[in-house]
Amino acid sequence: MARTHPLPMFHRRLTLLGGVMVLIALVIGAQLTRLAVAQGASLRSKAERALHQSTLLPTYRGRIVDHRGRHLAIDRPGYAIAVEYEVITGAWVTRHARRAAYKDIGATAWAALSDAERTNLATSYAAPFHARVERLHEALCVEGGIDRGTLDEKLAAVRTRVERLAETVWARQEEEQRNAFLAGGGDPAKFVFRRERLIEQTESHVILEPVGDEVAFAFRGLAAELPGMFDVREHARQRDYPWQELLVTIDRRHLPGPLAAETPIDVEVVGVADHILGGVRSVTERDVNDRPLRTFGDVDLGGYRALGDVVGGRGLERGQESTLRGRYGLVRKRFDTGEIERIEPVPGRDVELTIDVQLQARIQALLTPEVGLTVVQPHHQNTELPAGWPLHSAVAVVEVETGEIRAMVSMPTVAMESSLGKAALGARAWCNRPVEAIYPPGSIFKPLVLLAAEAEGLVSIDDTIECTGHYFPGRKRPRCWIYREQWDFATHGELSPEDAIAQSCNIFFYTLADRLGMERLADWTRRFGAGTPLNTGLLARGTNPAGEMVWREESGGMVIDAARIRALPLREREFSRVTMGIGQGIGVAWTPLHAANAYATMARGGIIRDATLLAGAEAAGPRRAEGRLPIHPDAVDVALEGLRRVVSEGGSGHHIVLASGTVEPIFNATGVTIWGKTGTAQAPPLRPYDTNEDGRVNGDDDGIANLDHAWFVGLVGPADTARPMFAIAVIVEYGGSGARAAGPVANQVIRALQHEGYLPSQDDEPEEAG
Amino acid sequence: MSLADSGRALTFRPAGVRARARSIHRPRLEWWNLAWLCIAGALGLSLLGVFAIGTTEPGFATRQVAFLLIGVSAAAVAALPHYRWLQRMSVPLLLLVLGLLVFVLLPFVPESIVRPRNGARRWINLVVTDLQPSELAKIAYVLSLASYLRYRKNYRRFLGLFLPFALTFIPLGLILVEPDLGTALLFLPTLFAMLVAAGAKLRHLVLIIAIGIAAAPMVYPILKPHQKARIHALVYQIKGDARHVRDIGFQGDRAQTLVGAGGLLGVGRTRAASLVTYNRLPEEHNDMVFAVIACRWGLLGALTLGGLFLLVMAGGLGTAAQAKDPFGRLVIVGIVSMLFAQATINVGMTIGLLPITGMTLPFVSYGGSSLVATWIMMGLIVNVGMRRPIHLARDSFEFSDDDG
Repeated sequence: MARTHPLPMFHRRLTLLGGVMVLIALVIGAQLTRLAVAQGASLRSKAERALHQSTLLPTYRGRIVDHRGRHLAIDRPGYAIAVEYEVITGAWVTRHARRAAYKDIGATAWAALSDAERTNLATSYAAPFHARVERLHEALCVEGGIDRGTLDEKLAAVRTRVERLAETVWARQEEEQRNAFLAGGGDPAKFVFRRERLIEQTESHVILEPVGDEVAFAFRGLAAELPGMFDVREHARQRDYPWQELLVTIDRRHLPGPLAAETPIDVEVVGVADHILGGVRSVTERDVNDRPLRTFGDVDLGGYRALGDVVGGRGLERGQESTLRGRYGLVRKRFDTGEIERIEPVPGRDVELTIDVQLQARIQALLTPEVGLTVVQPHHQNTELPAGWPLHSAVAVVEVETGEIRAMVSMPTVAMESSLGKAALGARAWCNRPVEAIYPPGSIFKPLVLLAAEAEGLVSIDDTIECTGHYFPGRKRPRCWIYREQWDFATHGELSPEDAIAQSCNIFFYTLADRLGMERLADWTRRFGAGTPLNTGLLARGTNPAGEMVWREESGGMVIDAARIRALPLREREFSRVTMGIGQGIGVAWTPLHAANAYATMARGGIIRDATLLAGAEAAGPRRAEGRLPIHPDAVDVALEGLRRVVSEGGSGHHIVLASGTVEPIFNATGVTIWGKTGTAQAPPLRPYDTNEDGRVNGDDDGIANLDHAWFVGLVGPADTARPMFAIAVIVEYGGSGARAAGPVANQVIRALQHEGYLPSQDDEPEEAG
Repeated sequence: MSLADSGRALTFRPAGVRARARSIHRPRLEWWNLAWLCIAGALGLSLLGVFAIGTTEPGFATRQVAFLLIGVSAAAVAALPHYRWLQRMSVPLLLLVLGLLVFVLLPFVPESIVRPRNGARRWINLVVTDLQPSELAKIAYVLSLASYLRYRKNYRRFLGLFLPFALTFIPLGLILVEPDLGTALLFLPTLFAMLVAAGAKLRHLVLIIAIGIAAAPMVYPILKPHQKARIHALVYQIKGDARHVRDIGFQGDRAQTLVGAGGLLGVGRTRAASLVTYNRLPEEHNDMVFAVIACRWGLLGALTLGGLFLLVMAGGLGTAAQAKDPFGRLVIVGIVSMLFAQATINVGMTIGLLPITGMTLPFVSYGGSSLVATWIMMGLIVNVGMRRPIHLARDSFEFSDDDG
């Protein structure tokens, strides 16, 4: 059917073609606009990057220096000799021999050979290449100062590691690809997996590290002779911890009864301060993503490179990463203009610590099983654990005036983990107990309850409270520790605050806690520093398994909050409110450093200066500059008097009774005044073994119940001054009695302070130098 | 016409009539002839090309000027003989070109005559320059297809489309074997455009395209590995996956980077030269010349180039519209669509819309064969344009049952 059109058909068809052309042109125009306008700036800078060649200039990590200027962590520039993986596997010789054979006989003849013939032929060309490999091995042995056997082991280790890695990666890739293939409806029979070489199979591997300038120079010379077989990697930075291992001589004359000896003992301390210093590790993808190295635009080169960069992995190395790390420098050459720009690297800043590494090492030595203080002894009267059982422990020593931590020891150390054998499973060697492990405070909490109640006007320093044995009429619990059948349900009778502390009477502090109420007491606990991490310098951001941001390396402990108190059933609330007065129950748990910090605050008369590991300007805990607690000096004096009486005749921390029946004072350091408090804190069942053999020691394993943690928190100062100089917190996990297990440790810590010159001593003979 | 002229016309002078009759049929190119647009556009593009090539290769630019002069002369020569004579020559020309296409593929032809480049046998060494028979094949193909279609109607039946397709697949196949996928790809859009212009049923053509699209996945397995890889590279690039940026996708990535780097107004000659050189853009004076233009003159330069192409297209299609002779009309449509397809593929691959394939940008890319061939095409358009239609001639390709 004919239709009438304004245009003839040919012209309509031309219009159609022209229209299609215009449409196509519009699509092209849109893409052009997208590239040139929307992405113009980023593509311009991408293009301009090609005009430059940038070489990073390495920086050095800052040093970590102790209280006396000793270098605890230093960065040594160095070199590493890395051998190509092909050379290690021997594929290099094969490849070169085949190439030589091919060149020799020519392409046509080569093409005519079967693969087996080619391999055969190549063998006769391999000798010079074997000689080169031999030459390299020789150089590695001679320059690296290792014997042939060690070298072979190292090479074999690389090969094994890479082969295993490849198997794992390929297995995973194959699995993933197969799943994807099947999910896409593919026929299982047709699935083909191709193993692609991993980067590790194409790159060089470090065989000698670290090597100095001379060795690097020698290998650079060798590179001309043996091209493509190895490379000399520059600035393989080596983090050194020169004080990591120390030999400490311990004078055993003043150890408790059975441990005492006339001859000193030499203790090899491994991992001195390793929880504090931590270590560095290679960057992970996440580090690089969080803080990529910016090499363009901004001058800031403070981020991480994807390969070969190091980052603080734990401890101060991690907590002080931003100070220690430094910034890369950069040399940037512009090809088109020949212009050279140079940005100098900024070395990392030093971190000065308040720690005295000698004191640290000495205390660490004291806590090793060899000395015996942290091994169950008959005089501990531990009802559940046999004598000789090793106990884990922690000590924190804080200078009262400044809040500076002079020593902070966690036992066992990370470095000891390998020597612990099977016991390592339950040892939690990675845990920096003084700041990471939390325990109920037990009786060491009592002086703080007194100060709080006095400040709130709920008790006067002249008041007395009668110990009635049990607190609630008609109920056996909670009771005083003395109100037991074996002692005919004795009571302390009428007690002054000083005596209440000296006798560690529970009823007295139940009464104060009852008057304060749980919320108010919790509030005072927080004012003494518990409930938040002290931010000694170790605090680091991290993520928990759920991916949430959490604080790592320091614990805030736990102080019950108002909401949780209100949620308690009435009877439980009543009980908890009272038992919180003796540091038990669900009200509070804190770290040993919190304990030492709270006692230091008390000794300063309430002035808040939270404990820190960082000296000078670097110290920046959350409450370092914050005022003082409203506690009365007289109340502090009363509390201190109580603490002094604890370690005096008749106090709960005065003596121990040895298995032989001999009574021996716990503290035998001379020339010092000691204030202290013992504490025995509820402990969860001890689960030392992987009884269900699941490779983990955790709550699923069988435990030993009825054990307590042993606390001793003390203050010490020269005998001629009324004010304490150091606060010392000791915890012996599952040690039982605070007096018997933790007290002797505190005594030795005081002696260690004397040995290092922090406290005077009036011993007749000077101790032997360590 | 003036009064004096009309006065003289009253006098009957047989010799004068003959002279006037001759003068009517004498080829002329008045100022209003749309073929001028083609010449202007082509000249603009060629000069733009010379400058673009000179960005990094001033020596090549000089030689390109020489090729341009040869090309313009060749165009003039191509414009001279009446296209009806060309129509008669089209089949022998096609046979000659097919012979050359077979010649380059013959394995025993010494490498001094046919030197393979990157494994492709496309060039015949003529000492002074290289001859690329596939460039000639384009022209010969357009002429012979136009010659075949001009008086027929059978292609308006579905089966009647068989012969035009068969005619297309002979040169296409030979070029595909060279291999030169890019050039081979140009023949299909050209065929479709010529069939559309000649009045083939649009529904037949749409059906064929639909079948082609459905069959495309079956073609994929027979593609060569590097061709598959390039398609992969394009897919990854569109997904924003940078994994092929260093290998098969390198060329595309570099080209797009430089196109974008030019921004709106470009970076100027010196900077463009540095960027192109140090970004190591391959084939920057040849297949990738569009990236150089966009980098040096920016989006503005790129759009100018597009405008010039559309000018050539508009001039060509306009000339075809003015012409009445079926052969002349189809020759122009063939030429215009082939040039447009070539420019689209070239620009498309440069800006990441199409996979990378070896394809020059007509008029702009460096190269004698390509430039001379495209100018000869311009000469053919002018050839048709300057020969006036016979007024009484019936308009060709007018069918009463147009479906489009």
